[in-house]
Amino acid sequence: MKALPFSLVLLATLGCNAECEYCFESKSDHHLTLDQLSTVIQKTMDHMALNHFETLSIYWQGGEVMMMPPEWFEQAHGIIQEIAASRNRHVKNYIQSNMISYSRKWNRVLADMFGNSVGSSMDFPNLHRKIKGGSPKAYERIWSRNVREAKDAGIEVGVISIPNEQTLDMDAERFYAYFVNELGITDFQINTPFPGGSQNDVKTGFPLETHRLSRFMVDLADVWLAQGFQRGVRVGPFDQLLDYFVHGRQNLLCIWRDNCVNEFVCVDPRGHVAQCDCWVTGYPEYRFGNILDAGSLSDLLRNSDARRRLQARPGELILKEDCLDCIYLTICHGGCPVRAYTVHGDLFRKDPYCRLYRRLFQHMEAMAANLPLRRNEYPDSI
Amino acid sequence: MIASIVYNIPATMIEAFRGRDIIVRSIDPAEILQRLGQDDLKRLAYLQILGTGGDIDSLMRWEHPIPVDLVIQHPESDLPLLYRYAPLIAERSVRVSVRVAAGFSNVVKLALSLNFAVKLEVSQPEPAAIEELLQVVNLYLHQSTVSQPIEFIHSIFWSFYNRTPVSLWTIQEEDPARVRYITDSGEETLSRRLAGAALKYGVASFIKEFTEELIGEKQECGDCAFFENCAGYFKWPRRDYRCDGVKVLFQTLRAAAGELRADIASFSTPGQESRP
Repeated sequence: MKALPFSLVLLATLGCNAECEYCFESKSDHHLTLDQLSTVIQKTMDHMALNHFETLSIYWQGGEVMMMPPEWFEQAHGIIQEIAASRNRHVKNYIQSNMISYSRKWNRVLADMFGNSVGSSMDFPNLHRKIKGGSPKAYERIWSRNVREAKDAGIEVGVISIPNEQTLDMDAERFYAYFVNELGITDFQINTPFPGGSQNDVKTGFPLETHRLSRFMVDLADVWLAQGFQRGVRVGPFDQLLDYFVHGRQNLLCIWRDNCVNEFVCVDPRGHVAQCDCWVTGYPEYRFGNILDAGSLSDLLRNSDARRRLQARPGELILKEDCLDCIYLTICHGGCPVRAYTVHGDLFRKDPYCRLYRRLFQHMEAMAANLPLRRNEYPDSI
Repeated sequence: MIASIVYNIPATMIEAFRGRDIIVRSIDPAEILQRLGQDDLKRLAYLQILGTGGDIDSLMRWEHPIPVDLVIQHPESDLPLLYRYAPLIAERSVRVSVRVAAGFSNVVKLALSLNFAVKLEVSQPEPAAIEELLQVVNLYLHQSTVSQPIEFIHSIFWSFYNRTPVSLWTIQEEDPARVRYITDSGEETLSRRLAGAALKYGVASFIKEFTEELIGEKQECGDCAFFENCAGYFKWPRRDYRCDGVKVLFQTLRAAAGELRADIASFSTPGQESRP
């Protein structure tokens, strides 16, 4: 059996209670029924058996995943456990929610199914996340209240944050203090924005200007090392990169794997299969097929032209771009295909944030080089 | 205990070598898997896949963690195809073997970035190849993102570091006391490099007699500082091959090993400092 899990990004619904301006998904009322879920899991387990995977990691997303009632998840959990037990497989569930619909009635399923942990997202300052018909301030108020309530109930909340123009004008220390000191978030990650899905004024400003973004990220890494590292605060991608440069462990973001096609697939509530949530909802021509219609997931993946194009991407980049001359090729491989496609309109271009990544890698490598002198001061996890 | 000899055989000869330690090779991984029996796995050192042209679907699904050696035949055209083999690393160690010829260092760079080990198949490198080899040595010694061995460089470096000579014939899996190569027509020889060559001596005694002859000639090998490691490896097939470039390579590795030894010796373990 393979030690690594098979990963499935599962969009339970395409409905959403928010109108975030940089969202790349096409929203709709589609949601997954329990019968459809059963089919998806059965076919996924068939694929796992054929390929000797023992563990399935399901990353539940939307739309907004908490638009589905918690009772649905309780039933879903039972169905999944039953199928897994009959197939002698293990399942781990993770959830990514905007927390706008969170209430204490979610606590039981979050504990039973998701290990009392939820991933969410918030920016600072929040300019672009809005509830339907509401303002960013209203969104922030509801989100902060719900996150505090969840934390009070013992639920761990991790946060993804997308920098914007005003973030880049800000002192990195202020940014760090907002999440860690004011909100009590000890696990957050910075993601870069890209113009996926339908276009609008906000997305025309993406990608963000690399020089300013690099400076912000490098400053934030320094703040984290000075204030959070020893206290066990995790800030991605800095903690993963430091772990790589100190210990060689390549537990890196999906954008920096040798090919994300080898790592996971995404299924939306209509059964469409694609590489990730951006592809599956925003770019029908890049769908691999439909798991509800297909005889098997293995055949669907094997016969997909779109998947073959994605598989070929890093090899093509070696020939067309300067990736082979980069000393960080082993932790980047040309970066994220969806970022390249949405910025350049060409899958076979390297990630538009290449210069940011190189700057960050250099900085974290230098940081790691200075760590051994004080190794006994640092947590074992790094 | 005497280690048994490992036979590098074509997949078609698995049955004939049953019960012996084997390396099985083919251009088609599926052919190897089809022909292997359950008992063969116990004596299987690794699979050797010749080129990137074969169907690897069945290998991707193969659950036995037997190592794979992927032999790159055409560095330029095979280069982007290395990515196809990346998923194999999750379940088994993968080594890429590449001939030292123009452009080979690109294969080395990409293989290392995919966490594949590398074996350089070297014979008598010309000056341009020596330059490229020196770039690879630099990569191996100084690039922090390199985490896999590049043979023969790795073993020679550690041999210098430990001050324990290791023969290049052994490193390159051409020592007849350890490995024999069976050609597709069934002939037993030392390695793919020497397949088809008319060996003056028998296979078993080839290296011993070849090196004695080189020493006896009192030519370049006679007073070479690296003969303990090289054992005349670069003097085949042409005896008149000049080793100047190869010696620069060895000198670089020896100097780096000396630096590392000195660096490590300069650190003292906390609590074990010598008292005044």
